[in-house]
Amino acid sequence: MPNEVLIHASGVARRHAAHLVVHDLALDVPAGMALGLLGINGAGKSTLLRMLAGVLAPDAGRITIAGVDLHEEPRAARRLIGWLPERAPLYPELNVVEVLTFAARLRGLARGAAQQAVARAIERCDLGEVRQRLCANLSRGFAQRVGLAQAIVHEPPVLLLDEPTAGLDPLQAQRFHGLLAELKPGRAIVLSSHQLAEVQASCDSAAILHAGTLDAPLAVGDGAALRARFMARVLDRAA
Amino acid sequence: MSPWLAIAQREWRATFASPLAWTVLAAISALGAWLLLLGIESYVALAPRYADRPDGPGVTDLVVAPMLANLAALMVFVVPLLTMRAIVGERRDGTLPLLFAAGASGSQIAFGKFVGALGVPLVLLAILLAMPLSLAVGTDLDLGKVAAGALGLLLLTCALTALGVLCSAYAQHPASAALAAMAAGLIGWIADAAARERGITEGLLNWLALPTHLTAFMRGVVASVDVVYFMLLVVLCLGLAAMRLARLRELG
Repeated sequence: MPNEVLIHASGVARRHAAHLVVHDLALDVPAGMALGLLGINGAGKSTLLRMLAGVLAPDAGRITIAGVDLHEEPRAARRLIGWLPERAPLYPELNVVEVLTFAARLRGLARGAAQQAVARAIERCDLGEVRQRLCANLSRGFAQRVGLAQAIVHEPPVLLLDEPTAGLDPLQAQRFHGLLAELKPGRAIVLSSHQLAEVQASCDSAAILHAGTLDAPLAVGDGAALRARFMARVLDRAA
Repeated sequence: MSPWLAIAQREWRATFASPLAWTVLAAISALGAWLLLLGIESYVALAPRYADRPDGPGVTDLVVAPMLANLAALMVFVVPLLTMRAIVGERRDGTLPLLFAAGASGSQIAFGKFVGALGVPLVLLAILLAMPLSLAVGTDLDLGKVAAGALGLLLLTCALTALGVLCSAYAQHPASAALAAMAAGLIGWIADAAARERGITEGLLNWLALPTHLTAFMRGVVASVDVVYFMLLVVLCLGLAAMRLARLRELG
């Protein structure tokens, strides 16, 4: 039996002023799959992820998260989503435990449940050594891990990660990919990147966002075909 | 837990973590103490003149009411400093989308910010009110009048806090949010005097001015129209802030 589709988008479009950033976009991501969203800078990856996260309203189209319509039941749908924007949304004056507790309570968890959820997220993201450190004093690698921890603190079935390893050193990026692999079972993950190697390292399949439309996903195992298509899109854009 | 409560708690913590809040608390408390001492000094000088008049002004009228009125004027400049980062700070830190992503609506964010931003002003009010209340040890205070004045000051503080949150929702920088809130508060403060200067005593400007609705409280009169005026100001400012937040979400 195929896995349940957790992210479904159809006919999604979004304009910025006169520029059509995304148009007539369709996407299905089942549970247990990590989809890499490839595209050069400005291709609309962040816009698409923000729409999937319910942070940005599409001008047209329909998005459902685990069958819940993001437009009709926004609060219920957003509770099913964990979102890590390109810049981890951290409060500099709070320490790691406080920022995760805030994220948990913001999502409606009661005090006791929030404490348990925070402890679980800290353990999973290996943040024990910095749990009392102010977010203002975190290194880039730890900041991204705290960002991921706040995205998963409420155990969402859908994870949306916008360039999660940008600015990380290779070792930190490798640890991040390992963490994603642990989180993948039962979840639908969409990860955006402009680096083919990163998508190949952490995803099952990849789709290229080009000129506002999304190509059909390719398995990352088929590296040559994926590379050829990606380069063709990049060169097309450059021309 | 409702999102507004989580937002309010975080705002409360963030405000008390900032040195600005403690500086304001210390500076305004010192200023309040100085105003109280000035009031006592002038009372000591004036009291003999009224000694033989049974209906003459007492310590509440000559010390407490003027002190509260002066503090009210001061709040126009103090509250914007405490609210300036409320929403524009979230935008600058890149954390506003986190609130949207968690399902908080514009009105929940605006209300949470308002409740959280009220923290320091409320502590400040408690400190400032404790000062004149300490006079009760050595004299008879008209506690009803003091309570009415305190209520007026509280309502004014709520209105100024909501105004600060609104300005913070529209501003691009905390300093411009503070300046806009101070300017709006100042206009609200001097509108009545400016209208009277032109010979208008019962116009819309007179009615809209903050002191018009505060004066009665300072005299010990709690009129429902004045309470409703301040509450309407709060609702209007928070409503506009919520609309701005909804617009910011649409714009992405």
